[in-house]
Amino acid sequence: MKKKILLTALVALLFAGCSSTPINDAPAPSAAAGSGNEGLDLDLLRSDSLLTQRSIYFDFNKYEVKAEYQDIVNAHAKYIADHPNAKATLKGHADYHGSHEYNLALGQKRSVSVKDVMNLKGASDSQIETVSFGEEEANQNCQGSQCDKDRRVDISYDVE
Amino acid sequence: MTQLIKTLIFIILISLHSLAKAIEVIDILGGKAGEIAIAVLPFEGDGSEKDIKFNEIVKADLERSGFFRAIKTDGINNIPKDIKDIDYSYWTALKAELAIVGKVEKNDTQVKVTWDLVDIFKQKLITTMEYVGNPSQGRLIGHRISNLVYEKVTGTPGVFHTKIGYVKKFDDKKYTLNISDLDGFNAKAVVTSTQPIISTRWSPDGKKIAYVSFEKKKPVIFVQDLSTGERKLVANFKGNNSAPAWSPDSKQLALVLTYNEFSQIYVMNADGSDIKRLMRSRYIDTEPAWAPDGQSIYFTSDRGGGPQIYNINLDDKEIKRITFEGKYNVSPRLTPDGKFMTFITQEGGKLKVAAQNLKSNQVLKLTKGPNDESPVFAPNGHMVLFTLKNSGNTSKIGTVSLNGFKFVPIEVGANLIQEPTWSPFDF
Repeated sequence: MKKKILLTALVALLFAGCSSTPINDAPAPSAAAGSGNEGLDLDLLRSDSLLTQRSIYFDFNKYEVKAEYQDIVNAHAKYIADHPNAKATLKGHADYHGSHEYNLALGQKRSVSVKDVMNLKGASDSQIETVSFGEEEANQNCQGSQCDKDRRVDISYDVE
Repeated sequence: MTQLIKTLIFIILISLHSLAKAIEVIDILGGKAGEIAIAVLPFEGDGSEKDIKFNEIVKADLERSGFFRAIKTDGINNIPKDIKDIDYSYWTALKAELAIVGKVEKNDTQVKVTWDLVDIFKQKLITTMEYVGNPSQGRLIGHRISNLVYEKVTGTPGVFHTKIGYVKKFDDKKYTLNISDLDGFNAKAVVTSTQPIISTRWSPDGKKIAYVSFEKKKPVIFVQDLSTGERKLVANFKGNNSAPAWSPDSKQLALVLTYNEFSQIYVMNADGSDIKRLMRSRYIDTEPAWAPDGQSIYFTSDRGGGPQIYNINLDDKEIKRITFEGKYNVSPRLTPDGKFMTFITQEGGKLKVAAQNLKSNQVLKLTKGPNDESPVFAPNGHMVLFTLKNSGNTSKIGTVSLNGFKFVPIEVGANLIQEPTWSPFDF
């Protein structure tokens, strides 16, 4: 398993065409795809009414997971805890207002907030990577409540 | 690119009189020195090529600065081609304070421009110069003329020969990192990607641009060598890798990493080695910007509730809050002398470019908003380059002068143009 991940990381590096810089890091989550779906219960992941819900929405300027999303986050946490080979990515987003870098930090704050709830339910940090796209995928032209859907965290799994 | 500057073959200084009216920009920040009326007359022998009209280049440069107002010369007969042809009473009546006259001689291998800067009130020659370059360097010669005129009047070197970098977002999932002249000419793409590019930072030694790319399904940091085009992935740690900021000697980068936490600031060598965490907090710390003396780093943090700008001393790690007005202050950048900071502030629900005197803490809003972003100072500290976000999924970049708060857009296309950076004087 470990060997395979290293190999995929190497392949990813080759494709990136970068020079000799040693990348002292785990592979990017996407690179791990295809490294084996053993015991991942993909059917469950794709059919469960809570696990198929992958977006957690936040209020303006808020980072706490709202009560209405607790069940979804808990279900994903349980799935991750029950499947040690599962690797999840929590991708935070922010609306377009303001600095790109600060919005990246706000999206990250939201993804960490989801991860913290998952940790409480037994999901291990080693299976979760929190990242942010800030405002980069946001509607750059939204007004008022149209911007609400840009304040969210998307949950994805590497096998997908 | 340094080569390009060096091959501007030679510059002959024929005579030099200093203009009595040297202006100290720092003294007038917040006020406005009246614009100097200047007649930039068509150069004799110029205008056969559409893209090179020396007086148009110089006029546009000087007007961008906020220090000059170009007098309209259209429809004026008997344009003087030489200082001895100048009718001083005529130009005085038009309220011209200064005039530039010039002559262009071109052949297949070189272009030679001889020009005079004249004080109309004193009826006196200020400077006469001859610039020679190869034919492809016409615009650069124009910018060099603007630079010298600017320096004669303000006492500070002009930046009209410098380059900028910016990101262009196309509709079809295509992003390019481009560089061009300050006025938008000579644009070329140096990076093309299907994923967003943000946080472009030209290195102080002029040789490289650092930027954040999302091509690894998350933000990672690349450094690209501008002469070879070679790029290097310098930060690809778990979580986000963003907000690269060059140290003044270009040897180190401050950056922001997250692992599985909030954004935190680290410092590493520019090749990605020897990474160290700068400080540990339970809050967002991002957008590092090195003070030009290399002794401290400005940054944005929400440790006080909302985003405000702070400074951390690199020796004793003492942290000072820098911004106090308003609830949203982000994106700090410093002047080369470290005396002023530009940043984005929210006022009346609008995001505006502001400048703060770091000694008196006086804050001035340079723009009206409503969605301005990513300010960066000119290498001489006299202008700020920034993004103006419009409605309708477009944005443009432009400069605003500290003197007179004059905004001039940079025309580089009708897409989403954002995340600008400015080269140093020499690149």
